[in-house]
Amino acid sequence: MSEILKRMSSAVIQGQRDDTRQMARDAIEGGCSAEEVLYQGLMPGMDHVSGEFKAGRMFVPEVMRSARAMLNAMEVIKPIMVKNGIRMAGKVVLGTVQGDLHDIGKNLVGMMCEGAGFEIHDLGADVAPGQFVEAVKAFQPDIVGMSALLTTTMRAMEGTVQALVEAGVRDRVKVMIGGAPVTQAFADRIGVDGYAPDAAAAADKAKHLIAASR
Amino acid sequence: MRVNRHNYEINATPRLQVLSEDQIEAIYYASLRVLYETGVRVYATEGVDVAHAGGAIVEETTARSSLVKIPPDMVDKARATVPSKVVVIGPDRRYRMELFKNQIYYGGGSDTPFTLDPYTGERRRSTYQDVKNFARIAQALPNYDFHMSLGITQDTAVGTYDRWQYLAMLEGTSKPINITAVDIEGVRDQLEMALIRVGGKDEWRKGPIFSLYIEPVSPLSHSREVVQKLLFCCDNDIPFVYTPCPLAGATAPATLAGLLVQALAESLFGIVLSQLRRPGAQIIIGGLMSNMDMLSTIYCYGSPEMALLSAAYTDITKWLRVPEYETAGCSDAKLFDEQAAMEAAINIATSGLIGGNMIHDVGYLDSGLTSCPDLMVASDEIIDMVKRILQGIEVTPDTMALDVIAEIGPGGHFMEHDHTFERFKTEIWRPKLIQRQNWENWQLAGGQRYGQRVHARVIEILESDTAPLLDEAMFKEMRRICELADARHKDEELDVKMFV
Repeated sequence: MSEILKRMSSAVIQGQRDDTRQMARDAIEGGCSAEEVLYQGLMPGMDHVSGEFKAGRMFVPEVMRSARAMLNAMEVIKPIMVKNGIRMAGKVVLGTVQGDLHDIGKNLVGMMCEGAGFEIHDLGADVAPGQFVEAVKAFQPDIVGMSALLTTTMRAMEGTVQALVEAGVRDRVKVMIGGAPVTQAFADRIGVDGYAPDAAAAADKAKHLIAASR
Repeated sequence: MRVNRHNYEINATPRLQVLSEDQIEAIYYASLRVLYETGVRVYATEGVDVAHAGGAIVEETTARSSLVKIPPDMVDKARATVPSKVVVIGPDRRYRMELFKNQIYYGGGSDTPFTLDPYTGERRRSTYQDVKNFARIAQALPNYDFHMSLGITQDTAVGTYDRWQYLAMLEGTSKPINITAVDIEGVRDQLEMALIRVGGKDEWRKGPIFSLYIEPVSPLSHSREVVQKLLFCCDNDIPFVYTPCPLAGATAPATLAGLLVQALAESLFGIVLSQLRRPGAQIIIGGLMSNMDMLSTIYCYGSPEMALLSAAYTDITKWLRVPEYETAGCSDAKLFDEQAAMEAAINIATSGLIGGNMIHDVGYLDSGLTSCPDLMVASDEIIDMVKRILQGIEVTPDTMALDVIAEIGPGGHFMEHDHTFERFKTEIWRPKLIQRQNWENWQLAGGQRYGQRVHARVIEILESDTAPLLDEAMFKEMRRICELADARHKDEELDVKMFV
């Protein structure tokens, strides 16, 4: 049983996108629980990838492949987890704020968070405050993540927070922001819960926010 | 400013051209007139005799020298036999320089009186250990293809230092070395050491492990030692660099074209003499040309004229089809500071883009007076960047990636595509010491300036354990040659302590 989980970790590290679905099925059929597949197979592999990335020994396209390998396996185990009422690492609603079409950084954050076991609802780019509010109501996320590349669109972050307050849902979620011109000081000023300078740090920050709130 | 667009050819390799073919020919025929009408002064009877027997006109003979005039047909004859390619191979036969048109190789400079101490930063007289240290740095860094003695050993005997610094270099590197020599006896001793290192004459003939640096004196003077060394190299299968160091406005005309004419006449004399002595003798012509700074009077190693002249001379040598000696990776700054990095980057890039062959003087600061380990480590990465630029851009249906662009479409991303995964490592250059982290992570990593990271790498190389390159018996045998030379010259020796 632990053999297949080890192989699954290794498949995630190697980025074997086409193999992990079958491996997950085999593991479940072989008697592993969905939780074991996630926390003893997939996550240790992804943690290793994350460490290698931070150390400069793995690169974005490789991390993407590993994340995809993990997500493919997740397709198999997620329905089982949902059925058994097992909680994922957390739910994140993600979007680039209104007026801004730059989404590569936001996409990176999405992949990194998925790799860390989060369920992502990506609203895309140029997302109006109202859309964030609707998504919070619809998906019940733990975290709302906002991205902006321009100093001009940074202002929409503050507006979106206000919209969440006015809709009465601000307290239900943690809000995180990021993007090239964004700083911790700006995050503090507009009263959000978290800031991260890059995608890998965003996934870590999301984990910390969840851990602190549970 | 006018931009000569025709300088850029359609080619897989980006290329710079400074002189047009017409300009090269104008300079070449002007230098033939210098050789024939003005002549060169030769301070060695042996050399005068060789030139005279080959058809040169000898005039104004004094006790020490003669004026030698070379008719153009002698140059034509020499050009017919001078090799268009010279090969130097390190004691480790994997390190190979094939010096011919557009093949670039970088290496250190030679014989600086001072070194910046890697631990104290102090500028002090260079020692045996310094020379060995620089050789170890050259050995550790992939962009150094040959090496020279960065530092004159001054804790060894003054008149025989050349043998000692060759030994120090052999201790540190198994790459090809461009040696210097005090005199012909110094060349002979170092050849003996090289034969021990490489395993005999047959191995040497397969690939000599050093070339000899020979420097005639500008303007148009060829000293006794210089001529003797040249003839010795011809007789003993030793490739050699014949490099005048003319200084615009001081030892050459202030106009760069005038300097090129003179330098070429100086080099062509070397070609003529060597080919008369032995057709096919392996000569590399160079390579260090610059301007005098008209305020400080220093020889500029970081000026734009230095880079431009080196590049122009490369154009001339490509036209002549003779291997070329070039200069880059050097600066007039006193420390490894912003000026040093800036000047080195400019001249390294220029030398690479023009396609210079044996590009030396990496690691020189202080106008060639001080060697600096930090500049050498930093330049390795500059050279790496230049080599990436020289790779150019491959344009094929596959690399234009029309299918990939169509597949991703507007608003998508390429980070997860197979095309990205398969190409990013070969297509996109990765730095080693250059820092690209975002502000927060840069701060977390210590918030160091480039210079600090470079210095840490210097120390890391110097303190790394590496297997000795020379076995004990070999080292002893070579050391014995140095000691015998010391003993022979004991009576002439100065007090070594006054130098250190």
